[in-house]
Amino acid sequence: MKERISALMDGELDERSAALALDAIAKEGEALEAWRTYHLISDALGKSRVLSAGFSARVAAELAREPTVLAPSRRRPAEPRRWVALAAGVAAVSLVGWLGFAPQQPSIAPVAQAPKPLPQQEARPAVVPLPSGTDDYLLAHQGFSPRVSLQGMAPYVRTVSEPVQRARK
Amino acid sequence: MIHRAFGAALALAATVAYGQSPETLSWLRKIHDATQRLSYTGTFVYQNSGRTEASRITRDAAGDIEKLEVMDGVPREIVRTKDTVRCYLPDSRVVKVDRRTERNFPALLPERITALARHYDISLGETRRIAGYDCQAVVLQPKDDLRYGYRLYADVASGMLLRAVTFDASGQSVEEFTFTQLSLGGVKRDMVRPRHAGREWRVEHAEAAPARLAGWGLAAELPGFHKISELKRRLGDARPAGQMVYSDGLAAVSVFIEPLEGRRGAATGLASMGAIHIYTREVANHMITVVGEAPAVSVQRIADAVEFRRPQ
Repeated sequence: MKERISALMDGELDERSAALALDAIAKEGEALEAWRTYHLISDALGKSRVLSAGFSARVAAELAREPTVLAPSRRRPAEPRRWVALAAGVAAVSLVGWLGFAPQQPSIAPVAQAPKPLPQQEARPAVVPLPSGTDDYLLAHQGFSPRVSLQGMAPYVRTVSEPVQRARK
Repeated sequence: MIHRAFGAALALAATVAYGQSPETLSWLRKIHDATQRLSYTGTFVYQNSGRTEASRITRDAAGDIEKLEVMDGVPREIVRTKDTVRCYLPDSRVVKVDRRTERNFPALLPERITALARHYDISLGETRRIAGYDCQAVVLQPKDDLRYGYRLYADVASGMLLRAVTFDASGQSVEEFTFTQLSLGGVKRDMVRPRHAGREWRVEHAEAAPARLAGWGLAAELPGFHKISELKRRLGDARPAGQMVYSDGLAAVSVFIEPLEGRRGAATGLASMGAIHIYTREVANHMITVVGEAPAVSVQRIADAVEFRRPQ
């Protein structure tokens, strides 16, 4: 089944197979889960993944036939980013590992392997505070910035900037 | 004849493709020359993410010495000579000394300014009065999302840079340096001496020397960023580290490689301050810290490409 979801996501299924895949998902009770996951993931997706042409339209068409299951709030089916996100939600199991954004979402953390790594796509990294040696790194880095040739040492101010010095402690 | 015509057409095409008028490039050269040639003292503000910090900067061109003093809060200072940077931190009574065995800091040489046009569309912007000086804006608009854009405001008469704004892909300012007061000339040697005697202070010598870091490299370079330096160094006195520096001619990103040696690595992730992003991750039992004045995605892509291949 995972292969089918993967193929669905990659837009490799024809209309009939896509319908069958979606039916199966619904029957196996995962649709609701997918719907929840979709809400978690849609923000994380941002302006990401490029799907093959016509994919979102096909998914949208399929979902329009089953509005009660997958579209409880009656979103307009033609809103492309939503549908991409929804498709991602359906295949959340394979996507989450790839997104790797997950610290605050342990409920979907245990993850199967992504079917295909997607090139040129960055995971959103965890945001961390400035590391403790930030002033050392900046001091060591700054001299290599060609920009110093246009601006003198003004950019060095970052090294002694208050947030950086606070990170020392 | 056909060849020559073709050659001329190619040369013209290259100029047109880069789309830079000689006038804009000469403005960058003018700023570059002013930075090296002028003595000055002035107050500038450094702004990022809603924070503002004021500093005084003084340059003695004859002695090639510059001093930067923080004006608010703890009076930290940095004094830069040709081959050494000393950073005075009175709150912890520490002097950090960054000395190079290379005589010169890698610099943007005037002849490389033309090459900037490969990654930036360079044009003249507005004219504007800043701190009493009539300034011309030079805009470097990046050709992709892997680097920031810059708006540089230079004094029309002298070429002195009065304001530098770094902006992101949406045109939003991420960092700004602006002089609020500036005097050109009249700098005496004692104006660039550190105010802190620092006799009883702890001195942290961060020596650095060019070296090959066998086995370390990037699986793929970021478009436009090439390695400009590779060295072994110490960070904050004690920590041995390797450093590889990548640059597109204007922005630079450093990769620091430190052995973990049993201690716990820092948390993997991205930290930011203004235009600076810092991405930390672990590779082959080493802590990799990538630091650069480039968008988060660039710093992260370089960090993710760091690899160690056992030398044959």
